[in-house]
Amino acid sequence: MSLRKDEAIVLSKRAYGESDRIIHLFTLNAGKVSAIAKGAGKSQKRFMNTLEPFNHVKVEYFEKQGRGMVRIENADLVSGNSGIETSMKRMCSASFFTEFVDRMTREREPYNGLFLALKEFISFARSKDPAYADILHYELMMLDILGYHPNFDTCVFCGTVINDEEKIYFSRERGGVLCTVCSRSLPHRRWSPGLMQGFLAVKKFETGFETRSLEREAQELMEGFITYHVDLDFKSYKLLKTMVF
Amino acid sequence: MFYPEPIERLIDNLTRLPGIGRKTATRLAFFLLSAREGYITDLSHSLIDIKEKIRLCSVCFNITDIDPCAICRDERRDKASICVVEESSHMMVIESSNPGQFRYHILHGIINPLEGIGPDDIRINELRERILSEGITEVIVATNPNIEGNTTAHYIAEILKPYDVRITRIASGIPVGGDIVYIDPLTIKSSLENRKKL
Ligand SMILES: [Zn+2]
Ligand SMILES: [Zn+2]
Repeated sequence: MSLRKDEAIVLSKRAYGESDRIIHLFTLNAGKVSAIAKGAGKSQKRFMNTLEPFNHVKVEYFEKQGRGMVRIENADLVSGNSGIETSMKRMCSASFFTEFVDRMTREREPYNGLFLALKEFISFARSKDPAYADILHYELMMLDILGYHPNFDTCVFCGTVINDEEKIYFSRERGGVLCTVCSRSLPHRRWSPGLMQGFLAVKKFETGFETRSLEREAQELMEGFITYHVDLDFKSYKLLKTMVF
Repeated sequence: MFYPEPIERLIDNLTRLPGIGRKTATRLAFFLLSAREGYITDLSHSLIDIKEKIRLCSVCFNITDIDPCAICRDERRDKASICVVEESSHMMVIESSNPGQFRYHILHGIINPLEGIGPDDIRINELRERILSEGITEVIVATNPNIEGNTTAHYIAEILKPYDVRITRIASGIPVGGDIVYIDPLTIKSSLENRKKL
């Protein structure tokens, strides 16, 4: 048993039996860890209430040889989740990203960048209703960190730099745009002009998409991409779609 | 080792109850096997009754054997306000501390996107319909003071905005008889925000 100190974001909290809780923490230095909080349901320990979803906390936990479930010894709040409860847009998007991080990472796989991105999104959602472009910005950022980023710059097959006007072919399987030549021999879908530039702008946090219909196309492209490459069904996504998109 | 089929089946069924493992289930099965005939008949009837006779009140969605439930039929209760709770068990707790005072609305769940539960999965639309049809002027939102309960409270306030109704939220703070030294910072903060004039 060793005591570890770290920073973490609370990803989820589930009741376990009568009075225990299982908490998923995304820690800065050790990645995701599952923690058991014994007697959390009725405990008088003052840190228990700080282990609520989206909270950024400083934790101390005991673990056995770097595996299995850890036991939380103490948790201090760095910043809470207040503000998120004020709108469904905030709640659904924050839930989507915590679920995303929870399910896209394995236990004890540290990702500093992902930790910072999640922390940044949560603080965004505490103060403002995110629009689709904001959500997409963070989604692209997180996919990039996880090594799944779609390529909107160069042809994914031959590597040619494509002019903005010709960026209309996207291969879901290969995860990026195709040049005109490669599009003749490879499966792809044709999208509206301006869509790929829209993605690049959103990625750089410059602007959103120019029209609502481009935004819809972006959603569709991303859903196809995620389904093909990640193949996970996020529980919070359906609700996010009805409440935000 | 396997017991005769009817006993195995009973053990299997008992194992599905929360907190009951195979060992306990076996012990219960043998207890039932040697129990009086009258007790077994009574027990089986009461099991069937909870499915056949218990339903949800068509007004407040409380569990009841008579529709509308006893609380909704109680004429002495305040007609103008309703107390919104997550589950019937939460209603029971409030009712036991304030007997005969409120009428209720049971949501049967709480908004929790992480579990895929949204407003349409709980009885929020029914609440809006009640506001319109029953002349309610105050809605007391008594969901738990955690992120899911607070989100549900805000959502209720949001959808009831167009109506002429006062929406209040139960206070959260230091428990009665508590000690400030042992209270977490969030609760202290909330108790200061919810402070009252002396
Ligand atoms: Zn090419
Ligand atoms: Zn009723």
